[in-house]
Parts: sequence; structure tokens; C-alpha cells
Amino acid sequence: MKPLNPLALTVSVPPHQHCGTSIQGRMIAILLAMIPAAAMAVNTFGVDALRVMALCMGVAVLTEAACDRIMERASDVGNMHAFVVGLSFAFLLPPSAPWWLAAFGSAASIAIGKMIFGPLGGSPFCAPLVGWAICRVSWPSAMDLDATMLTMDLTYPLGQLKAFGLNAVQITNTKSLFFGHQLGGLGAVQIAGVLAGGLFLVVRKHVSSIIPVGFLAGVTVTAWLFHMFDPTTYPPAMFHLLTGSVMFGALFLATDGPSSPNRQIPMLLFGLMAGIMTIIIRVYGAYPDGVPFAILVANLFTPAFERIRPRPFGAR
Amino acid sequence: MNNLMKNSPPQVELALVRHCALVTCGQQVRCGETLATSNSPERGDIHAPFPGKVLHVDSYRIRLSREKGETVPLASLDGLSGPEIRSRLAELGADLAPAGEVDALIINAVDAEPSVCSRKQLLADHAETLRAGIKALVRAYCPGSVVLALRQDSPNTLDELEISYVGGHYPAGLDPMVAKAVTGVEASPYAVVVGLETVHHTGMIVETGLPVSRTMVTLGDTGRLVSLGTPVGALVEEQGETVRDGDRIVLGGVLQGMTAASPGQGVDRSTTAVTVVKNPAPVAEDTACVGCGECVRHCPARLDPAMITSYAEFGDYEKAAAEHVDVCFECGLCGYYCLAHRPMLQYIRLAKSELAKARSLEEVAS
Repeated sequence: MKPLNPLALTVSVPPHQHCGTSIQGRMIAILLAMIPAAAMAVNTFGVDALRVMALCMGVAVLTEAACDRIMERASDVGNMHAFVVGLSFAFLLPPSAPWWLAAFGSAASIAIGKMIFGPLGGSPFCAPLVGWAICRVSWPSAMDLDATMLTMDLTYPLGQLKAFGLNAVQITNTKSLFFGHQLGGLGAVQIAGVLAGGLFLVVRKHVSSIIPVGFLAGVTVTAWLFHMFDPTTYPPAMFHLLTGSVMFGALFLATDGPSSPNRQIPMLLFGLMAGIMTIIIRVYGAYPDGVPFAILVANLFTPAFERIRPRPFGAR
Repeated sequence: MNNLMKNSPPQVELALVRHCALVTCGQQVRCGETLATSNSPERGDIHAPFPGKVLHVDSYRIRLSREKGETVPLASLDGLSGPEIRSRLAELGADLAPAGEVDALIINAVDAEPSVCSRKQLLADHAETLRAGIKALVRAYCPGSVVLALRQDSPNTLDELEISYVGGHYPAGLDPMVAKAVTGVEASPYAVVVGLETVHHTGMIVETGLPVSRTMVTLGDTGRLVSLGTPVGALVEEQGETVRDGDRIVLGGVLQGMTAASPGQGVDRSTTAVTVVKNPAPVAEDTACVGCGECVRHCPARLDPAMITSYAEFGDYEKAAAEHVDVCFECGLCGYYCLAHRPMLQYIRLAKSELAKARSLEEVAS
């Protein structure tokens, strides 16, 4: 046998194989999953929607790069998370949002929703919702869908429900709601597109189905109870499922990794809580669409839910 | 000639893992002579697989070259039972852990990892040796029952034994999971799991009266008996693979196996396979946890690897202990699924070893 050449072998602890996913891969998958809804938004709202989405993504990336520079840290912009945050934030805005609102909200999402907690994974909140909440509280009139979208034929069903009651809601046709013929967050109301993208993520195992199932079940059951109680005041569950950001929140926002629990039972409870809170805010709260605040509240409860944990293997 | 070379390499390297070398450089040894004694109760001693001369000794390896020579006198296990036969078998190179009262002796015939088939091959080709090994193990452990854990689709079995079928999906074939599947109790102190290769080693000791000198190794898609200490580089070359800088030669499966430090490193008794993992191999990166939760949902021990590794990363080993890091049986799935490619098992092993160090210091102090 001839002598073996000296080789520099890699020596490492197992595993020696990886399932192949990466942060960047997952973020690209999420962006792909958002494309159908984005395309439907451009189709419905025209170039305005494209403007808002592009602006939000651009500002998000620049803000993250700037924060990295200020914090003297190697930049992680390459993992595409900032694009996801920017686009998610844009999905919640009215298409008429002025440039400064989109830019400020997107920058706030990244700076206050993500970067001040350290690198990706540190934030206890779903980042785009932080920016949305700041804008909604600071500039209610600019964020108000009905007031800013008077030029469109479409109406905002949740706004009409909140302000004038169930009888005033003009769009009740399930099919037109499903295909996004309504006002709301520019991408979030493209229910068909959001659902298609969300199913893609669940089937490809990029997100677990537990949180969306819990969320939608929470919305359905709570809305159904109210509807049973008084069908003339409270709309049926299907109306709630197909309006506002319920679908988008359940599939894209509540499933955000760091701000949601990791185990099955806490995930289910987290989803249920966000779903129930959504309907409670819609019925009793001051805001027409309860989803963003419901998810932020559920985010706060994540550490509490995480305390529900099984006994480790064989531990006594 | 080729066949002869395959079965008996001219030179072997025997890895020492908490073993104490008894030989010195240049010493002539007989076939079967004890080269190093084990310092850990669950591991057996190390012996010369053929007569020869010791070329090199350090704390990690003994190298031996073949020369003509004698064989040690045959050992007899007659009249021994219980702990005596167990320690005698360990002196002859069987890796048998000591145990107290044993309710169930579980023979694990499941190849846990998908790319490994050494146990399947043993069951197909060496049933008689396995039976002899099981008889000796029954004498050593005096168990209430003997159960053979098999995959559902296993074509071979050992008829006289009670069979328990185990799922084929990793990590169902790992010892703790098999023990749970058979006894219904997690980490039962009354169950002993012995891997089929160790049963085979024991059987060979009983049949030949000599220490263990060969083991079943998966090469490609078949298993083959190779001499202990055979350089892994030679085995890889035989399969027609070329190893380049940066590749890994893995002893065992890709999820749990150990990487060889050099192509000269020898096959040891726990080696179930020799495979090459080519570049671009997944290299763990120094990244922070992104909180995706994949490791938590995949952990068969129901631990929170994300928290454990984050504690270990910052040196807070006591908190890792509070998260039950000791329960981890190192299946490797957390690192396999980690979105951020964190060195999960490295951190877990770091925490375990630091905790063990702290414990031994406490014991010395008290």
C-alpha cells in the first residue's frame, strides 16, 4: 500500500450534514410567498401600491445597514430579513400612504422593532407591527383607510362596521372579499394571494401550521359566539376571516419566529390568544382592525406561554 | 493477494479513548496481547489484532506493524457468571457497561442512521456468532427477559428471541429511544441496551477464545468485517473515493459519527461505517440564535436546545444544567435543522464537559 498523503481533513463535532435551509433561504421563501398578494395589490391599487412597497423595502434595508454601521457590527443585510420586514409593513399600509409615513414607519420597524434588541432573533415583537403601531398612534388620519382612499370605488368594510354598524357594510359578498375587492392594508386584504403564499410556506415547512390554525380558530370561534349572541349587530365569522389583516396576520406576522413560542401547545395557545384578541378589539376596541395590536399583545405573552413545557426525556 | 490485503492491513492505528497504554515503542507483541487498558467502565481494553511491532505510542493512539509472531493463549469463560464474566469480557475487548439489577436486556439491531447497514449485515451473515454472544450476555447480566429490537422491515431475525419492532425513522433507533419503545419507561435504570456490534464482538470472543480483532463496518451500501485499526483512508480508497483537503472522513453515520483526524486513523469497535463527506460540507458558523424554534420542535429529548446553547455560548453552564442539558443523548438533529447553522452539539458538549469538570472539582474539594 502506498503511503497516504498528508491531508488537512475537516474535523468537527456531528452532524456532518445539514437539512439545507438557511436564514436567507427562508426569507427568500417568505418573499416569494408574498409575491401573489403584492401582484394582486398592484392590480387593484395600481402603481401607488408598488410605490409604497418599494419605498418600504428600500428604507428598511438602508435603515438596517445604517444601524449596523452605527453599532459597529458586521452587517446581516444579506440575509434578506429587512426586505421581509419592509414588505410586511407595506402590506399593512393604505396604498395612499404618503412617502414620509411609509419611510418613517419602515425605518421605525427596523430600528425599534428589530435592531435595538440586537441581531435577528432578539426582538420580542414582530418587527413590522412595531412600526405600524407607532404610525397608527402618531398619525391616525394618515393611517385612516376610508379618509385617505376617497378616490376609490372600494370601501373599507371594517371601518364601516366600526363606525356605522353591520347594516352599513357595503361589501358582504364572500367572493369579492376573497379576491381583495375591499380596502385595508394594501397587501393584507389580498386574501386569495395571502392564502396561496401562506399555504406555500406551510407545505414547504417554512412555518408551522400550528399558529395559523390557532389564530384562525380563535377568530372563528369568538366571532361565531358574538354572531350567535346577536346576528344583527355582529357579522358572521367568515366576514371577520376575510377582512382586514386576519389572514396575513395568521400566516405571516404571528408566525414570526423570535416573537412567537417554539413548542406545540404554547404555539396553539399563542395563536388562539391572538385570534380571540382580534375579535375582542374589533368589537370593543377603538380600532377597526384588531389584528396588529392583538398580535403585539400575544407577543408580550410569549414568555409566559413558553413556561408550559414537557418533562425532558427521562428526567424525574 | 488483494483479498489478503483487504482483510489484514500491514499497519494499524488503534485509537485510545481514556485508555492507558501498556506497551512502549519498539516492543514486540503477540496477536491478541493487551495494548491498553480502559479507564472507563463502559469500554473494554484494546488488543493487538495481529502479532507485530509497536511503532508509535502517545496518549491518543498506538501504531502497530505486522510481523510474524505468536498468538496469546486462548481465554476461557467457563464457570464465570454475573459481574465476573462481564469484566472478563471487557478485558477481552467487549464494550459492556456494568449494570445492577437488569429487568430487560435489549439487543438493539436497528441501524439508527439511514446510511448505515452494519447491523442488518450482521443479522444476515452472522446469526450463529450473535446467538453465542447473546448467551454470554445473558450470563453476564442475568436479565428478566431478552428482547431483540428490530426495524419493521428487517428481512432477518433471531427466531428464539422476543421481538420488539421499532420505527425506522431517525432517531427511533438510538439506544434511549429503543429502550423507551421496548419498556415503555424513559431512561429506565433496569433496562440495558446492547448494540448488535457489541453482541457480535462478544460472540467472537466466545467462539474464538481471543480478544476482539474485527468489526462490521458499512462501506458504501454493504457491510464488511474489517480488522480493528484498519486505516480509514485505506478503506475510503478501496471504495474508489479520493479525499481532498477540507473533506471529512466520518466514522459512523453523518448525524452522530466522529470525524477522523487523519486518513491513518484506525477503525475502532464503535465504528459502524466509514464515509466521506465532501466539500462544500456544512460548516457551522459563529452566529446568534434567530429564535426560529426548529431545534425545539425536533428535539427527541424534549429539551430547548436554543436556550441550552445560548447559555453555553455565554459560559452560563449552571443555567444550561437547569435546562437539563444532561438529558441530551446527542442525536445531532438540532444542528441538522438549525436555520442559523449554529454549532449546536459543540455548545451542548461544551456545557456537559464544563459541568463535569465543575462537579469533579467539587468532589475533590469536599
